[in-house]
Amino acid sequence: MTEGLAHLDYIAVVILFAIGLYVVLTKQNLIKKIIGLNIMETAVFGLIVTSGMVDGGSPPLLGQGLEPPYASPIAHALVLTGIVVALSVTALALVLILRVKAECGSIELDELLEPDE
Amino acid sequence: MRNALALLIVIVLAGLMMAGVSQLPPPGSPDGAVHRHVAAHYIDGGTEAGGAPNLVTAVLLNYRALDTYGEVVVIFAALVAVLAVGLSGHSRGPRRQPDELPVSPVVDRIIRLLAPFIALFALFMILEGHVLPGGGFQGGVVLGALLILLSLVLGPRRIRRMLPTPALFWTRAIAPLVFALTAIAGLALAGWLFALPEPAWLRELILVGLELAIGIGAALALVGFYLSLEADHHD
Repeated sequence: MTEGLAHLDYIAVVILFAIGLYVVLTKQNLIKKIIGLNIMETAVFGLIVTSGMVDGGSPPLLGQGLEPPYASPIAHALVLTGIVVALSVTALALVLILRVKAECGSIELDELLEPDE
Repeated sequence: MRNALALLIVIVLAGLMMAGVSQLPPPGSPDGAVHRHVAAHYIDGGTEAGGAPNLVTAVLLNYRALDTYGEVVVIFAALVAVLAVGLSGHSRGPRRQPDELPVSPVVDRIIRLLAPFIALFALFMILEGHVLPGGGFQGGVVLGALLILLSLVLGPRRIRRMLPTPALFWTRAIAPLVFALTAIAGLALAGWLFALPEPAWLRELILVGLELAIGIGAALALVGFYLSLEADHHD
């Protein structure tokens, strides 16, 4: 169990990812699906940032009088890219949902899939 | 029934991921793969090889500049798609555009009071992003959030009028354009894409230029997303 506790951060991230996936799979409301997707994305970013951290480390800024070890700069740069892409995807999805609402009158997936005519 | 099936899938998947994650080196240990190999090389290379004392900026704008180019293209493409799908003027019935949204006077005052300081902080993050924590995206997001706040207080019309349409047309694309220019300039002058030229002041100038372009592009994209969603909402 102590071995498991060393990975506590990673376990929290996996639980967060599972919550997001559950929301995406079960919720019929399209907005809630997007929220679930964002929770999953947050979990992935959390995993990458956590892995880039180092005990007693300092931010990877040179020339500021900070002592090594430095946190991994790659993890931060990758997550920055990921956040921007996640934001773009969310914005596009929200606009598409608004369009679906305007065209079909509902954003509940089960109502949308129901053959009403 | 369906929810139970979903729960089962999620639990099985989470179990698999737990098993995978527990094999990783524990977070914070310095012998993880993230800290050896490439990251160690970047840190050893220092400002000389990276071009910027902030190594995150060095990775974004120098080592992996092509990735960042793709990133600004993604955000620009999303903005174009949002504008195309959202604001196509399929207005049904009379369009009501309340110019002044009901905002509490306290919020109104505080936003107006803080606006110049937030703008200054955003500019500082963009311009000093290659030395201190910060950078184009971060500063741009702060700036975009400020513009969204202001549009809540002043009404979206005032924000729309802040930039004339022809200028907006080109400024929205500024980040991909500046990146393309830098890539081609590097190719022409030094023989590879995104090569940073030798004198240190020119390097710094190019980095600041890239950060500014990213910041302005990100801020305008955020405001574009918001205004597009906001306009659709009032249709």
